[in-house]
Amino acid sequence: MDFLTWARSPWGDTIATHISWSLFWAALVGGLLFLLGHGGYMLFSQHRRRDPAEVDRMEAEHKGLPAKIERHGIVARMFHWIMAASMLTLLLTAFLPIVGIQFAWVQWHWIAGMLLTVSILFHIVHATFFMDFWSIWVGPKDIPEMKIEMMREMGREDLAGPRPGKYPLGNRLYHLAVVVAGLVVIASGVLMMWRIRNSITVRNPYIMSDLAWSFTYVAHGLMGVGFVGLVIAHIYFALRPEKLWITKAMVFGFITRREYLEFHDPERWAQENKPGPKVA
Amino acid sequence: MPPIRDVMPAFELFQPATVADTLGILDRHGADAWIMAGGMDTFDWLKDRIARPKVVVDLSAVTELRGIKDAGGGIEIGAMTTLTEVANNGLVQERFPLLAQAALLVASPQIRNQGTAGGNVSQDARCWYYRAGWPCYRAGGNICYADTPTSVNREHAIFDADRCVAVNPSDTAPALIALDASMVVKTGGQDRVIPAEEFFVGPGVDITRLTMLMPGDLLTAIRIPATWAGKAHYFEKVRDRQVWDFPLVNIASAMNVSGSTIADSRMVVNGVAARPYRLTAVEAAIKGKARDKATADMAAEIAVRGAAPLRHNAYKIPLVKALVKRAIRGDAEWTS
Amino acid sequence: MADSKPPYKLIGQNYTTPDLVAKVTGKARYAEDFRADGMVFVKLLLSPRPHARVVSVDASAALAMPGVHGILRASDFPAPPPPPGAPPRPAGAPGAPAPPAGAAPAGAPPAGGVAAPVAGAPVAAQSGAQRATPATAAANTTAAPPAGPPLAAEIALTDEPLYEGEPILAVCADSEELAADAIEKIHIEFEPLPFVIDPLESLRPGGPNGRTEGNVFAAPNMKTLKWTAADMAMIDQGKFPSGAEAIDNLSIGDIEKGFKEADLIIERDHQQQTTPHMPLESRTAMAFWKNGKLYLHGSTQSVARTVAALAGWVGIKQDELVLISEYTGGGFGSKIPGAQTMAIPALMSKKLQGRPVMMRISREEETYIGRTRPGYTGWVKMGFKKDGRVTAIDAFLIEQSGPYRRQGDNATTANLASLCYQVPNMRFRGISVATNTPPPTSQRAPGGLQAGVLFEPMISEAARKLGVDEVAIRKLNGPSGQAVFGLLPPLPPGAPVPANRPRQKVTSAFINEALDKGAAMFNWEERKKRSGQRVGSKITGVAVATGAYTAGSIGVDGLCIVQPDGKLIIHQGIGNLGTHSLSDTARVIAEMVNMPWEQCEVVWGDTSKGLPWSSIQAGSQTTYAHTRANYATGMDLRKKIQEIAAKDMGGKPEDYDMANAKVFRKGAPGGRSMTFGKVAERAIQLGGVYDGHEVPKELNAMTKGAAASLVGMGLMGVARDNLPRDGQTYSFLAAFAEVEVDVETGVYTIVDYLGVADVGTVMHPHSLGGQIHGGGIQGIGHVRSQKLVYDPHYGAALAKRLHHNKPPTMLDIPLKMEWAAVELPDPSNPIGAKGIGEPSIGGGGAVIMCALAAAVGDGVLRRTPVHPEMIATALANGGKPTYEPLTSFI
Repeated sequence: MDFLTWARSPWGDTIATHISWSLFWAALVGGLLFLLGHGGYMLFSQHRRRDPAEVDRMEAEHKGLPAKIERHGIVARMFHWIMAASMLTLLLTAFLPIVGIQFAWVQWHWIAGMLLTVSILFHIVHATFFMDFWSIWVGPKDIPEMKIEMMREMGREDLAGPRPGKYPLGNRLYHLAVVVAGLVVIASGVLMMWRIRNSITVRNPYIMSDLAWSFTYVAHGLMGVGFVGLVIAHIYFALRPEKLWITKAMVFGFITRREYLEFHDPERWAQENKPGPKVA
Repeated sequence: MPPIRDVMPAFELFQPATVADTLGILDRHGADAWIMAGGMDTFDWLKDRIARPKVVVDLSAVTELRGIKDAGGGIEIGAMTTLTEVANNGLVQERFPLLAQAALLVASPQIRNQGTAGGNVSQDARCWYYRAGWPCYRAGGNICYADTPTSVNREHAIFDADRCVAVNPSDTAPALIALDASMVVKTGGQDRVIPAEEFFVGPGVDITRLTMLMPGDLLTAIRIPATWAGKAHYFEKVRDRQVWDFPLVNIASAMNVSGSTIADSRMVVNGVAARPYRLTAVEAAIKGKARDKATADMAAEIAVRGAAPLRHNAYKIPLVKALVKRAIRGDAEWTS
Repeated sequence: MADSKPPYKLIGQNYTTPDLVAKVTGKARYAEDFRADGMVFVKLLLSPRPHARVVSVDASAALAMPGVHGILRASDFPAPPPPPGAPPRPAGAPGAPAPPAGAAPAGAPPAGGVAAPVAGAPVAAQSGAQRATPATAAANTTAAPPAGPPLAAEIALTDEPLYEGEPILAVCADSEELAADAIEKIHIEFEPLPFVIDPLESLRPGGPNGRTEGNVFAAPNMKTLKWTAADMAMIDQGKFPSGAEAIDNLSIGDIEKGFKEADLIIERDHQQQTTPHMPLESRTAMAFWKNGKLYLHGSTQSVARTVAALAGWVGIKQDELVLISEYTGGGFGSKIPGAQTMAIPALMSKKLQGRPVMMRISREEETYIGRTRPGYTGWVKMGFKKDGRVTAIDAFLIEQSGPYRRQGDNATTANLASLCYQVPNMRFRGISVATNTPPPTSQRAPGGLQAGVLFEPMISEAARKLGVDEVAIRKLNGPSGQAVFGLLPPLPPGAPVPANRPRQKVTSAFINEALDKGAAMFNWEERKKRSGQRVGSKITGVAVATGAYTAGSIGVDGLCIVQPDGKLIIHQGIGNLGTHSLSDTARVIAEMVNMPWEQCEVVWGDTSKGLPWSSIQAGSQTTYAHTRANYATGMDLRKKIQEIAAKDMGGKPEDYDMANAKVFRKGAPGGRSMTFGKVAERAIQLGGVYDGHEVPKELNAMTKGAAASLVGMGLMGVARDNLPRDGQTYSFLAAFAEVEVDVETGVYTIVDYLGVADVGTVMHPHSLGGQIHGGGIQGIGHVRSQKLVYDPHYGAALAKRLHHNKPPTMLDIPLKMEWAAVELPDPSNPIGAKGIGEPSIGGGGAVIMCALAAAVGDGVLRRTPVHPEMIATALANGGKPTYEPLTSFI
C-alpha cells in the first residue's frame, strides 16, 4: 500500500500531496477494532474495584473534605467542550467528503480550525498560569503508577500501589498524544490557511517551497487520521460505565468525596483544608 | 518523469454502436474508462499525456445519440448532436434562438462541426495551470496555482471560488440553464433526469469535476421544455477573438415580458464561476418590474453582489453588470 | 535607371505562380510530408525549469527499450563557432544606423558594402541578435568595458537550459509514441539556478539575474546592472523611471534644446508584449546521409543562405550538404537560415549510420523553440511645435531580450523614429535584459512594428491637441527624397567632435504620395468627421498611421539557362516562404529577353539542382535584391543571345532584338531569326562564357558551384548585382482604418482598413496586396490579442497553444480591406521595385492603436495587446487606465 499520494510539481519534481486516504480507513477501522477488543475484554474479565470497605474507612478518616470536590472549573470545562466541538467539526468536515458525502466543507473546516487554535492557545496560557501545570504531564516518576495502572486496566483494581493524582495516567498519556498531534495539526493547519482564501490570511501558497508544503500536508493528514483513532478512543472511554464519573465531572465540574477517595491519591491531589472549591 | 506533450499514450479504444453497448463497456471498466464525444476536450488531455485512461469509449458511432426532435413543444437534443447542427436547426432557431446563438458562438466552425452538445456542457475547466498538468486542487493536489499573488488569472472566477478559481468555459451551458433544460443521464439501465442547473457542481462540493457525471454515467440527451419557447431571449459572449475563443464572460437570459413588465425571467452568466452562475437574486428583483433602464441598473448592482475578484480579473465585475443591463435592454434604444 | 513606368509585359501583371497549384491541391510537400525506408523518429526532452544545470542523466531504462535507437545530447554537437560579439561586426559608415534589425543577419551585405559568402558563423546567422545594428554595436563598445569571457552561443541541445522548454536531449525510436514512452523513463537531475521573467524584476536591487554571467547584455557580452531603490519605488507606483541607468545610448542633435523649442510635450509609459512567431508550419526536419552527404528536408525562409548555417551546426563542409526546402509554411523571421534544431535529426541520423530520422515539432514545442519578438517596457517623451513639427524625441526602451543575446529591436525602433519623423533632436537609451523566456529573433519588422505602435498614437494625439490634421502632421514630419536619418553613438570621452558625422540616407521615400493617395481613396476628409462620434453604445474611431522598414539589399547573384528545347530555366536560391518573390523576381529575366512566361521554368528549393547565391528572405530584401540581380543576369543573357545571333546571322550584337523565344534583327520580327533552342545549341558548341565554362570571378562561390553543375546544358546567363546604390532602401506604408468601440463591454470591431504602399514598381499585384494585407493583419493581431504569458513564480509558459497566444482570426479583421501602391519606382533599382513584407506590419498595428485612441481618448491605451476590459474599465474610470502599466508577460 502506498501511504502517500504523489504528484509532479510544475518543475517535474516528485512531491507528496497528501497521505493516502486509505490511512483514514485504517485509523477508523483500527479505532473501532480497539473499541471492540477492549469492550469485549472488559465485558468478560473480572473487573474488581477498590474494596468498598477501604473507601468507607478513608471517608471516615477524611471528614474535612467537602462533599463535592471540584475537578474541572467552568473555564476548563468550556475549553474542553469548545475544543471537542471544533475537533468533531474538523474531523467530520475533513473526512465526510472522503467517504463520499460531498458538501462545501472548507469554510467550516478552517473556521473550526481557527476556533480550535484559539482555544488551544487560551488553554496553554490558562494551564500555565492558572492551573496545576504539572498535574497533566507524564514523567519517569510515573513508571510505578504506570505498572499498577496497567494491572488495574487488566481488571486488578484491588492491587495496592500508587493511585493517580488529579489525572489518571491514561488521561495524562492521552493528553500527551493529543498535545503532540494537536500542535502538529494546528501548526500545519495554520500554514494551510495561506493556501485558501479566507478572511484572516492573504492567500499566498508561495510562502514555502513545494517540498516544505509536502511535509506540511503529510503531517496534517497523518495527525488528522491519528485524531480519528484518538477521538474514537476518547469517546469510548468517556462513555464506559467505570469512567463515567470523570465524564460527569467534565459536564458538571465536580466529583463526590467518595469518588475522590476511591480513585485518587489524596497525597498527590490534596483537597483537604482548602478554603472551598477553587476555580480552575 | 520528464514532461512530454503532443504524443498520445496507448489506450484500448472502444467504438460502440448503441447506448446499451456503451453502458456495458462503461460498467465493465468503471473509472478506467474515458468517454469521448467530439474529442475537442479529450484530445488535449490525451495528447498532453496528462489523462491516461486505460480505455477510451468513442461515441461517434452511436447514432441514436444524434439528432434534435420535437418534444411536446420543447425539444430533445441527442448528446452527440454537433454544435453546428444545434446552431442551424430550424426548431432550435424558432423556439430557442438563445441556444442557437450560444452554439453558434462556440469556438470556430471546425470545432463546432466536430464538437457536440453533450461535450460542450460536459467539458472540463480550461484553467491554464490545471490544463498544464500541474498538481492543483482540481487535479487532486492541494494548491491553486491560479490564485497566488503572482498568478495570471485574467480568465478566472469572481464568484463562489472554493480553493479552485477555475471557471466553467461552456457557452451552451448557461443557455440551457436559462431555458430550464434537463440532462438525461444513464447508468447501467438506470435513467436519471437532472435539471441542468444541478448538473453542474462547484469546487466546494467536488473540486475535481465540473459536472455531477461520475464514472459509468452517460449523458444521452438534453431536454428543453416548452416553457421559455418564444419568450424574449438574449445571448452575448465577450471574448478576445471573435472566432476560436472561450468566453471571458457570457450571458444567457430568457424573459417572459408582458407589455413592458418582466413577468418572469431566468438569467445565467458563465465564465465567472466553476459552474454556470444563475442570477437568482436578479431574477427575483426584476420580477414584476418594468423592462427599463432603472430596472437594468438595479439588476446590474444585484448581479455582482458577493463577487471576489483576483489580481487580474476585476474587470469581470463591470462586465457582468454591463451584460446584465444589455440582457434586460435587449433591442431597446437606451444605453448605459 | 527607370524614371517612368516602362512598358513591361510581365512585371506588374498577375499570373499563376509555379507553386500555387501544388499548394491549393495539397500536392506540395513540406518537411513533414517526406518519408523514407527505415525512417525513425526523434522526440525532444524539454527543460521543465526556466534555468538550471543538468547534473545527471540516466537514460539506461529508456535505451534498454526495444525499438529505442539512441539519445543525442549537447555534447554530441560540434563546438559552436566563436560568438559574434568577439570580433567586431562589419559596420557601414562608422556609427551609421543600419538597416533595422531583421534586415541583415550575419553575412548579409553590410550597408553599402560588398556581398560576401556567408562567413561561417552559422549560429550568428540564426540569431536575430547577431545582426544588431552597427550603430548599436558601436554604442555597445563605448558603453562598458569588456566583462568576462565571451558568452556561450546557443546550440540546439543544452546542459544548462536557460528557459523552460529548451531542448535538453533527443531520443530516437521506431515511432514517436515509443520515443515519448522512452523519454518518460529517463531520470534527469537538475541544479536549479536563478531565473527572471519580468525584466524589471532583474533590475531590482537584489533581483535575480537571468544568467550566471549577468542580467543585461552589454558588449561584448554581459554585465550586472541594478537600478536604485528610488527607481524601483517609481516602478512600484506604476511609473517608469526615465532617469535610470541605461546600457545603450544613441543620439542626434540636442535633446534639451529640442524640448525647449517645443510648444507641446507628450510623455508616455509604454508596455508591449512578447509574441511568438507561430508560423503555420513548425520547424520540422528530416535527415539522412548518403554517400557521405547529408540530405536534409527542412523548413527555411532562405535556401541559399541556410546552407552555411546548417553545415556549421552539423559540423560539415557546405558541399557535404543537400538541403531540400521547396515549400515553407511561413517563418516571419524565425527561420531566416532555417532553425538550429534541424541539426538534431542530422546528427542523430549520423549516429545511426545515415538512417533517415524525422523530427516533427509540435505546436507546444514550436512555442518554446520557435523564437519571439521581444516585448518592451519603456517610456517616451515627444516635443512638438504648434504646427505639428516634431522637435525632439527621448525614448528609453527595455527589451525582453531572452537568455542568449542582445536582440536590439529597441535600437531599431529608435532609428525608425528618426527616419519617419525626421526629428532633429533625439536620444535613445536602452537595456536588453536577459530573461529566461524563449529567445527572440527578428520577427517581421523587428523594432518596426513596435515603433509604429509606440510612436504613432503620440503623433495622432499631438495632431488632436494642436488642431492639426492627422494626415498633414505626418506629411509635415515624414521623409521625402533621399531623406537622412539615424542616431549616432556617443563619442569616446575627450575625442574631438567631427563637423559632420555621417548618417544614413534612403534611396527613395514617397510616403507623402502614399498619404495623399490613401486620403483620397479612404475619403479621409469626410470620414475623419465621424471620429469620436457615439451611436448607441458604440463610438467610431478613424485614423491614419505610417510605417517604414528596410526594403532591399544588394550584391547577390542570378543564374539561368536557355535549354536546347527552347525553355528558359531560371534558378533561384530564394526560399519559398509564401511571398512569391521566388517567382516574381524570376520574371525579370524573362522580361529582359522578352520570353513568354509559359516557356519559363523556375528551379528552386533543392541545393542539388544548382542554385545561385541569394539574399536572405528577410528584411524585405528579396524583391529589391533579386530584381537587381536578375536584371543583371537578364542583361547578361540578352547580350549573349545577341552575340550568338550576330555570330550566326551577321551584323553587330546590338542590331538584334528578341521576342517569343526568338532572336531577330531589330524591327524585323518576321525576318530571319534564330530560336532560343538553336541559340542554346550554339552556346554549347561555343562553350566559354556561353555555356557556363567561364563565369565571372566576382560571383559567389555558391553560384560558381551551381554554374559548374550546369555547364554545357545550354546558354547560361549569370551575373552578380554590381549596380550602384547610394543609400539604404526603405519602403513605406500609409494605413487608414475605422474602428467601432462598444463602450459598455470594450469589445471593438475594425470596420475598414486601407494600406497604401510606397514600394516602387509593382511586381505582382496579387502578391503585393497579400503582403500589404497580411502584414496589416499581423500588426492588427499584435495590437488585438497576440501574447506570451508566463507564470513568474515557476517561470513557466502559460500561453503555449494557438488558442492561448491568440493570433488574429478571420472575424478580428475587417470584412473590407483595400490596398494600393503609389507606383513610383525607386531610382536605385533599374526595375524600380522595393520590398514590402515588413513595411506593411507597423502601419497596420499603429493605425488600430490610433483609431482606438480616436474613439476612446488619448493616453487610455498604453499597453498591448488591447484587451476589451482595458477599454471598458478605463472609460468607466474617467479615461484613466486601470490595468497594470509595466508588468510583462501577463
